[in-house]
Order: sequence, then structure tokens, then C-alpha cells
Amino acid sequence: MSKSEIKPETGGERKAESGESSGRRRFLGTAGAAAVAAAFGIPVIMSVRSCVPNVLYEEPQRFKIGGLDKFTDGPTFIADKRLFVFRDKNTFHCIGATCTHLGCTVQLVRLKSGEPGNDYEFQCPCHGSKYHADGVNYAGPAPRPLPYFKIEIAPDDGQLVVDMSQIADRGWRLTV
Amino acid sequence: MATTETKPGNGKKINLPSAEDLTWSWSPRSERESGDAIVTNFFLHWFPAKISKRSIATSYSFWLGTISAILFLILILTGVILMFFYVPSVERAYQSVKDIEYAISFGRYLRALHRIAAHLMVAVVFLHMVRVFLTGAYKNGLFARQNRPLNWWIGLAMLLSTLLLSFTGYLLPWDQLAYWAITVGTNIAKAAPLVGEQLRFFLLGGHEIGQNTLIRFYVLHCFFIPAFLTMLFLWHMWRIRKDGGLACDDNLALNQKAQDAKPATSKTYSLLGITSGRTAHVEAALVDEDKHQVSSVPNLLKRLLIVGLLTFAVSSLFAVLLGSPLEEAANPFVTPNPAKAPWYFLWLQELVTITTIHIGKFTVNGAFIGGILVPGILLLWGIAQPLLDRSSAAATGVWFHPERKIHNAVFIAVCALVIVLTVVGTYLRGPYWHFFWPWEAWPVHPPRF
Repeated sequence: MSKSEIKPETGGERKAESGESSGRRRFLGTAGAAAVAAAFGIPVIMSVRSCVPNVLYEEPQRFKIGGLDKFTDGPTFIADKRLFVFRDKNTFHCIGATCTHLGCTVQLVRLKSGEPGNDYEFQCPCHGSKYHADGVNYAGPAPRPLPYFKIEIAPDDGQLVVDMSQIADRGWRLTV
Repeated sequence: MATTETKPGNGKKINLPSAEDLTWSWSPRSERESGDAIVTNFFLHWFPAKISKRSIATSYSFWLGTISAILFLILILTGVILMFFYVPSVERAYQSVKDIEYAISFGRYLRALHRIAAHLMVAVVFLHMVRVFLTGAYKNGLFARQNRPLNWWIGLAMLLSTLLLSFTGYLLPWDQLAYWAITVGTNIAKAAPLVGEQLRFFLLGGHEIGQNTLIRFYVLHCFFIPAFLTMLFLWHMWRIRKDGGLACDDNLALNQKAQDAKPATSKTYSLLGITSGRTAHVEAALVDEDKHQVSSVPNLLKRLLIVGLLTFAVSSLFAVLLGSPLEEAANPFVTPNPAKAPWYFLWLQELVTITTIHIGKFTVNGAFIGGILVPGILLLWGIAQPLLDRSSAAATGVWFHPERKIHNAVFIAVCALVIVLTVVGTYLRGPYWHFFWPWEAWPVHPPRF
């Protein structure tokens, strides 16, 4: 069962032409093909590029979260920003609640036999990542600790300002 | 074929088609008519005139490819109707799905049918792939110009498209399942090396999940992926014709040749047969055609109708009995606990859970290993399969051919692993993705802070 292939006739016509003429034909052929490719290719590239937004209407990364007296000692969850703000008398720090594995919101779980200062941890509902109270991952698939964000005090009204574009070290604290 | 009759008496010509004229191609009265039906009827022209008894036997193909095609048709029809009611807006999507459920006549049925057909399609397409693999149907027989490996690759692309259709589909109600599925899904995309960040940005249409994301997935779900899948489907079917029907026919022809039967002397050869390079001697794929073949009309047609009706009946029944759940409206602030993907992605969810690797201080995210590396390797392995398989043409189109013992064993093992992971994800995972036996009660949710 051999495949019988009919080979296209290789041109006696072309061979007869002069080298100059066939060179010009090849050039025109290539140029024509390139023009057609560009005519179809460039609109495709433009269409794909148009899907990458140039303007976004997203919330700013730096925002106010309320005055000092809003926060009691211990953790406070700021739902719409997915943040935990911690107050220890006059020091504050802020940990992101977005799991470093696949982006679910971690939950604060009270530990039953917790010692003071270590009476809770973070757990992720999606894939079971676990983090200590200081945000360090110790179980499950999370690859990194939870991020710390810098807090400032707004000069105008004294509210706390979180800047989620600035990731801080784990020991970072705001003392007021 | 309107009959032109001359009625005796008045002598006038009456040109009215009778019911028989319209249906003759569906119920032919002779061999000649049934062959004619294929050529002249628009709906039938893509079928072969004759088909081997073996390839329409349920025990060979289980009609899985046909069933998935019919499910796709159901999905297109119900989906287009749902497009009248669904609004792809972050503010209104969830409410519009609620309207479909509670306010629109038969909306509940339509949505349930759309959903259940999608679930069934994923299952049936997967089973179809298993069937093709275990029968070695991705291998060429000995016919001229076959390219069954190409059809296997088209099939893999169709499997991926089916999964993408399902994924983009369950995002649209904008409920909790949808929101957290996008979160997890696009974070897996982010774990792709080099282009991850840009890919996620492109998919979301920004840094956050919002209106841009919803409309993107909507357009992908309603236009680009179905159009792509339709194109692949047509190519898939065309290739089956070019490859000489189902792979079991290759085997039939091969065994017949081994019997060394004489070719029929009176056979006429089609132009297609001649252009595809057959000589008169090897022409008839089936030497003993009459013994093994029947006319497609009505034999194939009848079975198609039965399979189609059964598929529709079963999906309808499931749709009525099961309905379709809708979780709470999307809430970016609260992740459900446990947050589970639909069953066909649970093996991946389980995989991304268990594949984070710590090497000293260095950590490789499970999102990369379980979400990209392992599925990628599986896909490459699937693509390479026709190249790896060195069994003879005799192993084409036969269930569990001994020559393919090792291939089949490895394939079954991989499928079994996927199924085990799915079962673990479905039944053995509870809140915080902790492991529970089915008879163990889940703890009461700890109060959320």
C-alpha cells in the first residue's frame, strides 16, 4: 500500500528565465507575501493588544481605614480590603489576608489552648494553608508568609492609612 | 423530488410534493435510494453511504463521541436562549441568573439543562478519550492517507476546549463558586513561568477581579471557545471520513486481507478513492463488503436518532430532578469553607494542595507544580502518545489489544490516579481542606472573626 505521490512538475519555464528576472520575481513574491501577512497579522496583533487595558478604574492601593480608637487590642479584620490590623496598646501592624498560595481569603482561627500572644492562627479554606499569628506559613501549600503592609497616620485627620503597594518586613510596627 | 403527475381526466399537471417526497431520503425503499439519500440530502451528505456493522455496534464505541456532539448541540441551543436573559454585569449578573431561576417560564429547566449537559459533556468527552485510547484508535491502520494521530490531537484540543467552556461557564452566575474559582484559576495562571503576571492581567483585564473579568469570560464562553470548538468538531468529523471511518474498520479490513479474499470484479471506484492513491487491487477497504456493511440510511440514522433522543431524555431528566444550585452572591471578602471546585477540577484542586515542595529555604508553589507542571506534562504525554506507540497496525481499533498492554496499563493507572484525587477532593475534604473520612462529622465552623 505505497503512497503514490505525484510530484508537481518542476518548471522548465522558470529555468529558461534569466537570473535577473527570476531574482526580481522572487523579491516581488516575497514582498507580496509579506504585505499580505502584514495586512492580516497587524490587525490581529492590534486586536490582542487592545485587550490589555491602558486605563483601570480600580481602587487605590493606599487608603484610610479609620481612626485609632476604632481599633481595640488584638486583631481587626477589614473585610473590603482583605486586611488584618493588629493593635498592641500603642503599636500597630497590618497583615494581608490573601493566601499566598492561590489568593483565597484566610480566616482567623482562635486556638483553644493558646498562650497569650499566640492564641490564634490563620487558615485558608481553599487548600488548607496555615499560618502562625505572625503570618509565617507552617502547613499546607502556601509558599510564602502573609505580607505585612506599612501603616501611617494621615496628617489631615489622624486616621490610619494603609499602603498596600509597600510590603514591609515582618518586624515592622507603627508606634503612636 | 417533487413528482410530476399527469392526472387522467383533466390533463393538468399538478406539482405538489407529497410527504413521501420529503422523507424519501430518510426511509429509502431500495439500496439505490439509500445511497442517493446521502448524496442529495443536505443533512446526510457528510455521512458515508455504507457503514460497517462493527462501527455502529454499541460495544465498540459506546457512541460516546456522538453523545458528546449531541450534548454540545443542546448546550448551544440552551446557551443561546439563556443569552436573552443573562446580563454580564457585575451588578446584575447574579440577579439575572436568579430571574432565570425564579421569574422566567421554564428558565429553571433551561439553566439546569444547560448546566447538566455541560457536566455530562465533560464526563462523556473524557470517556470518549478513554475509549479511543484503549482501542488504540489514535493509530493509523494501513489505508492510504490516514492521519489518525492528527485526529487524536484535534480531540485533545477539543477536550481542553470543553474544560475551558465549563470553567468560563460556571463563572458567569457571579456567585461565590464563580468568584473564588476565578481567584484560584487566575492565580494558577499567574504561577506560569515568565509570562504568569501578564497572563493574569490579561485574563482579568486588570489587577483585580471585576467587570472587565466578567465580560472577558462571558465573551470567551459565548463566542470564542464555542466557535473554536465547532471548528475543531468539523475538522474532527472530516478527518474520520478521510481516515476511513472508525478505527475498527481498519482492523476489519486488515483481517480480511489476511484471509486473502479475491476483490470483487464488478466494483466501480470513486474519484475520491482514486485520488487518495489506491490502486484497483487494494481499492476495496473491505473486500467482502456486503457481509460487513449496511447502508447508513437507515441503519446509522436510526441509531443516531435513538442515541440523540436518549441523550436528550437523560439530560432532561437530570435537569428536572437535580436543578442547578446557585451559591450566595459573590463576596470578595469571604471565602466559602470549604471552597470546592466542580468535580472535574477537584483532582487539580487536590493536586495544587499537595504539591508545594520545600527544599531547604526554597519553596516551589503547588500552583506551579500541580496547576501547570503536572497538567502540562500530562498533556504533552497525551500529545506524544501516537509517537510513543510502536505497536503494529493490527493493534488499531481493537479493545485492549495485547500489543498495547503496557500503554493501556499506564493510561489506566493515570486515569485511576485522577479519579482517586477527584474522590479524595469530593468526599474526604472538609473545612479548611482538612482530611475527613466520610463517616466523620465535620466540625462546626469556628466562628469567623
